[in-house]
Amino acid sequence: MLKRPSSRRRHPPQEVQINLVPMLDALVTMIAFLMFTMAFLSLNMIETPLPAQSESPPQVKEEKPLQLTVTVNERDVVIWSPFNRIKSVTIPHLESGNGRVNAIQVHDELVKIKREFPGENNLVVMPKGSIPYETLVEVMDAARTIEKTDGVISAPNAAGVPEQLKVLFQNVVFGNILGG
Amino acid sequence: MSIRKSIRNRRTRRNIHRDFDLQLTSMMDILVIILVFLLKSYSTSTNSFTTIKGIKLPYSKSQDVPRDSLHLIVTPAGITFDGKTVVSFVPISPESPESAAYAFASEDLTEGNMKIWKLFDALTKARQTAEENNKRLPLRDSSGNPIPFDGVLAIQADQKVLYDTLRKIMYTAGLAQFRTFRFLALRQEPI
Repeated sequence: MLKRPSSRRRHPPQEVQINLVPMLDALVTMIAFLMFTMAFLSLNMIETPLPAQSESPPQVKEEKPLQLTVTVNERDVVIWSPFNRIKSVTIPHLESGNGRVNAIQVHDELVKIKREFPGENNLVVMPKGSIPYETLVEVMDAARTIEKTDGVISAPNAAGVPEQLKVLFQNVVFGNILGG
Repeated sequence: MSIRKSIRNRRTRRNIHRDFDLQLTSMMDILVIILVFLLKSYSTSTNSFTTIKGIKLPYSKSQDVPRDSLHLIVTPAGITFDGKTVVSFVPISPESPESAAYAFASEDLTEGNMKIWKLFDALTKARQTAEENNKRLPLRDSSGNPIPFDGVLAIQADQKVLYDTLRKIMYTAGLAQFRTFRFLALRQEPI
């Protein structure tokens, strides 16, 4: 005689229903909180220090400093050194761009200077008072970042080993805050 | 006839109500995806800078992300610091409507038209508050003194604001012991 089958199998499987409503409430609350507190603006910054007046007497060096300076005029940009370490370059603004700075040429000239002076990181910007903020940002961008198309620019690090540079002239200072 | 129909309709309605069950699983899926996206974006937003109406920021290729600091906004209408309008620009000659919004009132400037005294007062007050807060903090430098005031000021300016305005702001901030300026711009993704 066969054994009687188990009665447990005869019962249909019971459906377990999870109550999703409280979880849904929690999710909606979290999403609302995140949306209210999140910064949707994707901002970046260009840091410049206030030029400080040195109280100690200037050190007498054999070699004059480069003190690379970019003067932004209404019609052109002049790249020069007060100590004549480089030949001055004047780059007229774009005629087609409604008087906008020729940022590509400015950048190319600065790349050439960086190859000549790879250890130099400082740049003095001297804009005229009528130059808009948009143009200042454009000039500072051209002076600070190395593009992929610029090729490799290297300088010896502290150990004397050549190292690829990632920035052009990182330290930008406004040279005429007091006037000029 | 109509009574019979009505009874039938009511039965059908009841049946629908009894069997109706809202499918929350798909909605949960969507909400979880949104939540993950927001959490991911939240982790990359490290500052609480906000902007105000009427300002158009320039774009920059800089990769430096600004950290929280005291924050000044220069709009065509005036200068806002700490959420309050400190200086309102006045219209000048009607011949130059573009630059009219950016002119300082003569009574707002002192020291050879370079110092914006209302802004100087607001910045000095903010510096003093920050110094007092630093004193209350348990953090100390190597010699046991409170952490000095960092002197960082983030400047968010409209793209058409002239350097002359910014120069006056930097000069005034320098007088109020602010030594570092962070110019904010919108992120321009590399091409």
